[in-house]
Amino acid sequence: MTKRFRTRLWAHWAILATLAGSWQSVQAQPVTYRIDPVHSFIIFRVKHLNTGFAYGRFNTFSGTFVVDERNPGNSSIQMEIDANSVDTGNQQRDDHLRNPDFFNVRQFPKITFQSTRVRKINDTTVEVQGNLTMRGVTRPLTARVTLTGRGRNQRGQEIIGFETTFTIRRSQFGVNYGLNGGLDDEVRVTIAVEGIRQ
Amino acid sequence: MSVVLQSLWTAGLASVAAAVFWLLGWRLRRAHLWLSALGLTVGFTILYARILGRPDFPPIDATQWAFWLAWLGLPLGWLAGIGAAYRWVWAWGALLGALWLFVLPFRPLIESGFWTPTVGVAYIVGFGVAAWLLMTLSAPLGDEPGAPAPLLIALLGAVSAGMLFYGGKSASLAQLSGTLGAVVGVGVLIGLLLSRFTLGRGAVALTMMLFVLLWATAHGFASLTLGQLALLYLLALAPALYALPALQRHPARVRLIAPLMILLVIGGGAVGMQYRAYTTQSGDYYSY
Repeated sequence: MTKRFRTRLWAHWAILATLAGSWQSVQAQPVTYRIDPVHSFIIFRVKHLNTGFAYGRFNTFSGTFVVDERNPGNSSIQMEIDANSVDTGNQQRDDHLRNPDFFNVRQFPKITFQSTRVRKINDTTVEVQGNLTMRGVTRPLTARVTLTGRGRNQRGQEIIGFETTFTIRRSQFGVNYGLNGGLDDEVRVTIAVEGIRQ
Repeated sequence: MSVVLQSLWTAGLASVAAAVFWLLGWRLRRAHLWLSALGLTVGFTILYARILGRPDFPPIDATQWAFWLAWLGLPLGWLAGIGAAYRWVWAWGALLGALWLFVLPFRPLIESGFWTPTVGVAYIVGFGVAAWLLMTLSAPLGDEPGAPAPLLIALLGAVSAGMLFYGGKSASLAQLSGTLGAVVGVGVLIGLLLSRFTLGRGAVALTMMLFVLLWATAHGFASLTLGQLALLYLLALAPALYALPALQRHPARVRLIAPLMILLVIGGGAVGMQYRAYTTQSGDYYSY
């Protein structure tokens, strides 16, 4: 190995090390992601007549989240769901869900979530605390959110995926219809989002 | 306890409470003016609380105003009782009162952007005037003795429940409407036992105001179309035919034929058509 070749090799390593260092410092900054609605899902399930589970989803929603890996406490999420987009695969049931027996979408067209605190549990899990507002009622909500993966989409944009499952009591939001035996009070919600780096 | 049994128990409890006030008012002639409307308010709010729970005040959900308007509308019921003697007081007092009452539940639809301010104001004025007119035309039914007047109002409640359930797709509004009819329906039993019993103008006027409120709520917040709303309103004019001064010289059973037929044939037919359309479209979904 000539002296000239060794010098060049060291120079390349130096450049790579500098690039790697700057990359790490970029990753350490809080990064904002916009929720990709095409590759994100909000589904819910509720027990029907104390027998089987009925599933539904919301088709229209938006939101952003900030990921701060160095200081997870600076991370945050906010989401807005179009209550009118509820979809259970049955038009009559969807109409019923939109009216005052359930979501009352004409008065309360949006369901929102705004985080207030994020706490790291381990490398792939954080605990998110925040306020869920539905039908004009705001209640605190805590959910464990798991990192499901990172990558790049077909346009070369950085993407990141998270999933969470939590349970709410609909009666706490004034959705009392059918509580006495028709539909369970507990509704399990699963949110799986893919975010595109902004 | 099954849903049907619960509804019957709820309707029975509310009916008995209303009946106590009505019988007391009917016996103490001077108190009839006050107790007639109060009986209806007590009965309706018992119903509401048992079906949907006691609402907040002021309500977050605008559809909960029905509970509070039964109390806030009480002066309208009392005004209806003296309306025949003080026409101008009734005309202006009740009209302005009805307009104000309809602002409360429907203002949120303007605030949420569902209605533009112009459309919202037009609806509120329309609902207020329609309620006032129906109260004015129907109040004389409260002076009609016996079972026919409560029977017609109870039938209207049944038709209304069917339309709100199958057309408006709101089970809770349908339940409230049907059980409101059932509360007044206790007057049929009392009327059969005591042939000179009258409901009083206050109870009838307030019932009609609550019907219009429930239909307007189903149109504003649920799926009741403008056509279905108009049909319900026209059907609600039928019971007033029974008390029409021009027909007073005819016996009760003759006066009963036209409004009864309208409610049974047109109202029943409309509910039947809604039921067919609903079951055809819904697959196996029957609420819940």
